[in-house]
Amino acid sequence: MKIFKLILIFLLLFSIVIIGTGCNGIFFIPGASYGYYIWEDSEDNIHIAWSIDRKESVFSGWIATDGKINEYNLLGWEENDSIKLSEDSCRIEFNASLNENDYSDEIILVIDNYSYLEFDLRINDGYDLSRINIGEFINNPNNNIFRIEKDYFSQLDKKPWYREHPLSGLFYKLSANIIYSLAYIFLLGVIIIEILRITVIRRSSRYWWYIVISYCVLILIDSGVYLFLTKLSFI
Amino acid sequence: MRVKSFFRSIGKVIVTKEIFENKILLRLLYKYFLIGMLIRLIFLPFFFQRDLLSTYQRAAQTVFGGNLGSDFQQFIMNSIHSIYLFIIKSILPIVGEYSEILLQTDTWSSWVNFISSENVFIVISLFKVLYLIFDILCMFLVMRLLFDDEPEKRLKVFKLWVLNPFVIFILYIFARHDIIGIFLTLVALLLAKYKRKYWAIFVLALAVAARFFPIMILPILIFYLADKKKDYIILFPVGISGLIAVEIFSYFYFGRSVIFSLINTQHFDYILSSKLELVIHDRIFIFIAVYIIIILSYLHIRKKTFDIFLNYCAIIYLMYVSICYFHPQYLLWVVPFLILIFVRKKVLYRYHWVQFALLMVILIYWGDLVTKFVLAPIDPKYFIYLTGPIPIINRFYSPSKFVNIFRSVFTGVSLWMIYLIYKENKNILSGNSIVDINNNLIEK
Repeated sequence: MKIFKLILIFLLLFSIVIIGTGCNGIFFIPGASYGYYIWEDSEDNIHIAWSIDRKESVFSGWIATDGKINEYNLLGWEENDSIKLSEDSCRIEFNASLNENDYSDEIILVIDNYSYLEFDLRINDGYDLSRINIGEFINNPNNNIFRIEKDYFSQLDKKPWYREHPLSGLFYKLSANIIYSLAYIFLLGVIIIEILRITVIRRSSRYWWYIVISYCVLILIDSGVYLFLTKLSFI
Repeated sequence: MRVKSFFRSIGKVIVTKEIFENKILLRLLYKYFLIGMLIRLIFLPFFFQRDLLSTYQRAAQTVFGGNLGSDFQQFIMNSIHSIYLFIIKSILPIVGEYSEILLQTDTWSSWVNFISSENVFIVISLFKVLYLIFDILCMFLVMRLLFDDEPEKRLKVFKLWVLNPFVIFILYIFARHDIIGIFLTLVALLLAKYKRKYWAIFVLALAVAARFFPIMILPILIFYLADKKKDYIILFPVGISGLIAVEIFSYFYFGRSVIFSLINTQHFDYILSSKLELVIHDRIFIFIAVYIIIILSYLHIRKKTFDIFLNYCAIIYLMYVSICYFHPQYLLWVVPFLILIFVRKKVLYRYHWVQFALLMVILIYWGDLVTKFVLAPIDPKYFIYLTGPIPIINRFYSPSKFVNIFRSVFTGVSLWMIYLIYKENKNILSGNSIVDINNNLIEK
């Protein structure tokens, strides 16, 4: 029990540290995580943050919109970092560097009347789309210059749990070879029933009833897994 | 009736006569076996460390490419994997479909292609089934090493192996093949137990040829088995005959020396990794010095019983991981010997769990490859781009200092375990069953 309590305290402290060091719209750890992180807060402001694992790097690019950028706020910005809002307030350009002691920078945009946002985000003057996370971790764009619609983030929130990473990857592979997956689950089930049989069920007066019920439950679970893996899409 | 008696005799061979004839113990053994299998099967399809793929890539070069020397340093191990790969690809065409990935020479792209493939869970499971077979053989062999006529204690040994965190982690999460060498070593030890000295040394020689590490216990096995001077003269050459045979084969077939190639690998340098620098070129390799002390200490024991011999095997392997650079799978070598001691000295089992917890931190040494990438078959992109433990630690503190603090604690715990084993040896030699007194003290 003492060990359990210690683990619990450790997890609690770890959570506090993580929350205190950068748990935002998307989870990332400034100074450890690597890439761009884009999200929308509850007041519809757009956040663009970037971080790297304490290596000297330059993050640059622009964000454009068909609306009007009313206001922008900067977090973790240094003297050498630059940002420029166009005269018509529909495009903003930035160039900011991170280093061993500069963990993260962030731009918060307050935008009115827009239907889309367009991004061109570079790291060390090159493109690494796998490092651009839109709304959630590894939700990456397909093109170097990419566009998202206004309701993109709210649509993302509606994504079902089984399409979230890493579960989506697991379910996709399990669904790729359904016979193997069902056999695997059935085998695990048989072992669990066997353990129950020689421990709990063994002494019961309704021994055979419980055995039959256990296997019926297992067949039901396997059928449920079959339906789940074949009827849903995980990509 | 004949069929029944046939299965009864098979049962006795598998689980020992004493356990088979005791219904309660037999049921308990079956329960532990099932729980162990459940845990193993849960991990079987999902996790592996990159080295598993490398091992089967070398086997694939033999099976698909006809290259016998794809891993000439581990010729026997490669042959076992090649035969197994040949069998599974003949039975299941799905394995054959992986030949292209397995024959890819670029390690990164072959790994990415492998973990991204749709049937990766099946193939990982099949690759690991070989280790599962040897693991099952080992769990029934290891309980036979000690405690004759004490079936309860044998059952405890079985339980400690089946539910051992190192066994489960190294074979089913890390997926390394050391279990094959351990199986051969256990066979050799069983033969030694029944004083089949030439067979014991011959099988250990085979184990040495398969995986170099059993050579560490070869000297004390010779000291344990030898009764006369003549035995030393015969047993020593037999002990190294496996290595010599592989050397000769390699020299004539591949035109390369296995021994010199092994000595020049970084793995051999691990043995020399802890050293005392003196002046100019003079230095002392600590493990070699300590190893000699252990061997001499064993040599001076008059009454070389089998349990003392096994305790010394545990001391040697514990000493190695205490003071030398090691890979996580090397910890498996000490497990068969330690679990025999746990039955008599419970306190060591707690330290064993502490060792395991510390290993989980020490793993960070080897970076992404042995931490987050182990989980990569589940969702490659997610785990490749997930922030690894080193950058997270580096955000707050030096990762190398952090890991080395835990490494030092690991060394401290392991050295303390050695001391406790050494103390137990003294008790056994003095004829006092202090082990029981110790256990009573803990219970109090």
